[in-house]
Amino acid sequence: MMAKASAVPIVLKAEIQKLIPTSKILVVGAGGIGCEILKNLAMSGFKDIEIIDLDTIDVSNLNRQFLFRKEHVGKSKAMVARETILNYNKDINIKAYHDSITTSEYGVNFFKRFAVVLNALDNRAARNHVNRMCLAADVPLIESGTSGYTGQVEFIKKGLTQCYECNPKAAQKTFPGCTIRNTPSEPVHCIVWAKHLFNQLFGEDDPDQDVSPDTADPEAAGDAGVEALAQVDESKKVERKSTKTWAQETSYNPEKLFNKFFEDDIKYLLSMENLWKNRKAPIPLSWSSAASDDGDQEKSKNDVHKEDMEVWSFKKCTEVFSSSISMLKEELANKNFLVWDKDFKPALDFVTACANVRSHIFSIARKSRFEVKSIAGNIIPAIATTNAMVSGLVVLLTFRVLAEEYEKCLTVYVRQKSSESNTVMMTEKFLGAANPKCYVCSKQPMVDVSINTKSMLVKDFESEILKKSLNMVAPDVVLDGKGVVVISSEEGETAANDNKTLTEMGIVDGAILKVDDFLQNYELTICIHHYVPKEKEDPLYKILADMDLQAKSEEGANGKENGASSASAADFAAVNVDDDEDPQEGSSKRRKMNPKEEDDDDMIMLD
Amino acid sequence: MSESKLSTAEAELYDRQIRLWGIESQEKLRAANVLLIKIRGLGSEIAKDILLCGINSLTILDDALVTEEEIFKNFLLSPESVGKNIAEAVLEKAQALNPLVKITPDSESVDKKNAEFFAIFTVVIATGLNSVQVLEISKYCRDAKVKFICGDNFGMFGYSFADFQTHEFFEDKVQLTGGQKRGIDGRITKVKSERTVVKVCGKMEYVDLSKVIKLPEAPMKPKRRNIYYYLMLALLQFRDKFNRDPMMESKEEDVKELKAIKDDILKLYQVNPDKFKEEVFDLIFGEVVPVCSIVGGVMAQEAIKAVSGKEVPINNVFLLDPFNYSGREENVV
Ligand SMILES: [Zn+2]
Repeated sequence: MMAKASAVPIVLKAEIQKLIPTSKILVVGAGGIGCEILKNLAMSGFKDIEIIDLDTIDVSNLNRQFLFRKEHVGKSKAMVARETILNYNKDINIKAYHDSITTSEYGVNFFKRFAVVLNALDNRAARNHVNRMCLAADVPLIESGTSGYTGQVEFIKKGLTQCYECNPKAAQKTFPGCTIRNTPSEPVHCIVWAKHLFNQLFGEDDPDQDVSPDTADPEAAGDAGVEALAQVDESKKVERKSTKTWAQETSYNPEKLFNKFFEDDIKYLLSMENLWKNRKAPIPLSWSSAASDDGDQEKSKNDVHKEDMEVWSFKKCTEVFSSSISMLKEELANKNFLVWDKDFKPALDFVTACANVRSHIFSIARKSRFEVKSIAGNIIPAIATTNAMVSGLVVLLTFRVLAEEYEKCLTVYVRQKSSESNTVMMTEKFLGAANPKCYVCSKQPMVDVSINTKSMLVKDFESEILKKSLNMVAPDVVLDGKGVVVISSEEGETAANDNKTLTEMGIVDGAILKVDDFLQNYELTICIHHYVPKEKEDPLYKILADMDLQAKSEEGANGKENGASSASAADFAAVNVDDDEDPQEGSSKRRKMNPKEEDDDDMIMLD
Repeated sequence: MSESKLSTAEAELYDRQIRLWGIESQEKLRAANVLLIKIRGLGSEIAKDILLCGINSLTILDDALVTEEEIFKNFLLSPESVGKNIAEAVLEKAQALNPLVKITPDSESVDKKNAEFFAIFTVVIATGLNSVQVLEISKYCRDAKVKFICGDNFGMFGYSFADFQTHEFFEDKVQLTGGQKRGIDGRITKVKSERTVVKVCGKMEYVDLSKVIKLPEAPMKPKRRNIYYYLMLALLQFRDKFNRDPMMESKEEDVKELKAIKDDILKLYQVNPDKFKEEVFDLIFGEVVPVCSIVGGVMAQEAIKAVSGKEVPINNVFLLDPFNYSGREENVV
């Protein structure tokens, strides 16, 4: 009698064939790669699968996240993915969680239940977290990501390979505040400025996102003299009032707003003459002259091309400026503040119009709304074919992990075929070795943090350094030697410390902090160095995982060479723009593809 | 508004790929009529990828009936499909992948189709053909200037080969510009280096596929080649000779046969037999869905390049290493 037909590939070794139906697999993320992985698992005979995703389905997912259809838009990705997979094969045991993997419900014991964890995530924070959970639970992890035509699959196992955080990832690109506020030279500077303007007018108050001329710009030193200050005394008063309050008082009069930001503020900038000695000076633009400049564009309504793909005339910019403001004003009426969202049309329209007017003023190339959306929303393109290739590789590696053929679980890069190269998929020759000084997977993880101990508050240390930079979820911090509990993961327990500076807590140069994240089962020793940025472009703080590298990095700019994360002093946390490498430039064979982040599960977002 | 223009709904649906290959490519895809010959495991993957990208129409040609085995390898089928024509059985789930594409199942045999049938398509994608069929169909396509790509999955191994005839294409290359600029007033202004995208055009000649899959009559001058090219030829020869693919049930005999075929091929191409690892024959049985996912992804991407004329296509053979999963182009001329 012939063996009963099965989905398990007959070409695999008998022992792997046996393991497939019984092995419990966790898929983290049901986006582009996640959908493909689930299909490949189901069609390879896996019968015990769990899927977790926090996200809901969006129309722009449907070109590749093929387990979803139009009628599923708005529903949970994990839940719908489960239903569709069951529709392929009723005999599969598949459990779906519409939840974030970083919550405390998914602790080490949750992870320990799985034979393999497959990451199909869209952001670095979650990737780092799952990396730590798999290290803590000692479960093999297969990490993957795509960006356009390129992608990567990497196997991670405690004590055997490098972990996801062994090699610091390139820091996100930041722009100095004065570039954004005073001397933009690229379209992205104006787009970032326009997003800040949106937040100033409609968003939550954020002093780091000031849009007015920056008089503290060292380049303009001694320049913005009495004369300049006197000249715009009126608008200075406005500044103190907060832009939002002032705008509300004018009841968001588009003409008044336009003239302030594009005429008066620019005139003020012009008075800072030093700035324009070696630069083309900006040209103020008034509402009346912009509104009458229709360019030479013909009108055509309901045309995707014209509306989205072509650069708007100034007249169009003023119209959109005016109409988007009135819509945003209405939206704001029922809320405390708005959050900028690339998919909310008035918000995107506002940023497109403002960025283009500002670009024109500074003689910078203007962009279509389509292009502005890419830049402002950090959108990483994604296609079904690359996801299919990467997910196929993920499941092929899963077979090998089950067989414990770890030495064969080599990293594979999917690359774009070019005239110079015949490679479509490139496989490493060896497993990546762990960095012995990795601040996550080494025996005694340690990191050096250089920071202004006199000015940084405990609460900012927790949010910026521990959570944002070091990706902890619920850290407890004890000052070594003194036993002082600085930060507790128990809510409110150390609230009294929140607004103290580090120095006030006894955390000074040379102090040692013992940090413990209970959820991640991760203990880290932090050596504190007191540090004050000297130049405006210096990072506000430095995090160095490797003391040997420190000397080298101090020679280089901002310690970015070794990937130490840093934020510019002149622009703390203000500007996050994805530093997207063109795939065609990724010529180095060994170059790590850093999957970029966005709001889709095969991508990453930094904003 | 002309038919070739995208609607707002389409622009929204295809947003993430338009941001990669541009609206022009998307419009070319929108006008493309694709023929897919055979829809088994690999075919189902190609169908998925090509439907998702937003072509005008897809014709699925397959005269086979669905077997019990097949439903485990083809996610477009369901248990109720057994015994039905496979092209018709996949229709429902294929259509669900993209309601905007016109899908036509065709249950006739590929051998019944004449030159006119193939001439109406923009690109023909085939799987599971024997050499005679490949040469015949690719000739029809060549005559009608229809792009042709064919591929297979044998266990952990997979390949594709293409004839895009004379193929014109362009790529966007990033150029760095910058330095100093002298303004109208004569002053020198610093210009920050800026990344500008330039369109670079290219043209490629593909050889007739007889040069790729037909064995030479006399020994050839030795040439450095990807060793899996000969594995591909051996598997095609096996298929031609036995009118089926190697099967696990007859593994011993089939591998013996394959080894003999391979030895003859290596002699013809004057390849050192030591370079060919015979263990590879353990890996070529059955359809492996993750491998179909990879090879299908590559083939669909090549078909997209063929239609859009954007990016450098593989000229002309793609080979997946069944041991380490690297994938390379082999230019066979
Ligand atoms: Zn590590």
